[in-house]
Amino acid sequence: MRAKEETQERPATAGIPVAVSAWLVPGLGHLMLGRTRRALTFFLVVTGMFALGLYLRGELFPLDTSEPLTFLAGLAEIGVGLPFFAARLLGMGSGEVTALTYEYGYTFCIVAGLLNMLIMLDAYDIAVGRKS
Amino acid sequence: MTNHFLILTIFALLVSTAFALLMRQDPKDQLRFGILAFVCFLGSAFVIGWLMYPFPS
Repeated sequence: MRAKEETQERPATAGIPVAVSAWLVPGLGHLMLGRTRRALTFFLVVTGMFALGLYLRGELFPLDTSEPLTFLAGLAEIGVGLPFFAARLLGMGSGEVTALTYEYGYTFCIVAGLLNMLIMLDAYDIAVGRKS
Repeated sequence: MTNHFLILTIFALLVSTAFALLMRQDPKDQLRFGILAFVCFLGSAFVIGWLMYPFPS
């Protein structure tokens, strides 16, 4: 009740375009809401982390339902949005299992995707007025 | 890049930055929270590292 007094809540559908944009391009949701500094930081953090993951020979996992952990890892990585699909199209992220940094690499990619999901939810909450 | 500590530090820095911006509104609070999260990441890695020291590789 107190939160409603502080911020004006808008319909849940009002946040959908912002959430989709935030998923596709890290930080774009916050940019649409006029939070330029945050948007730029989120973009640099998420894409930087994802790029570093690929540089460390990380793997972009397939959505293989026969392997539950692989499926979940793939789902988390898709959270990065367009950079994930761009990397796939460019043939990156095949993963080099024998590389010393392989585990670090895919951890960076997975965490980048999960962070972008949190950022997307934050943008959605701001867009619908649940958060200032 | 195969320096494990450097990779750990970069990971901690990036995640702490994102968490600070998501969980705090005021810039001063964000800085304080970010530094605390960063130190906790590194500190816990050192503690866990020393706890694992007696185990053979």
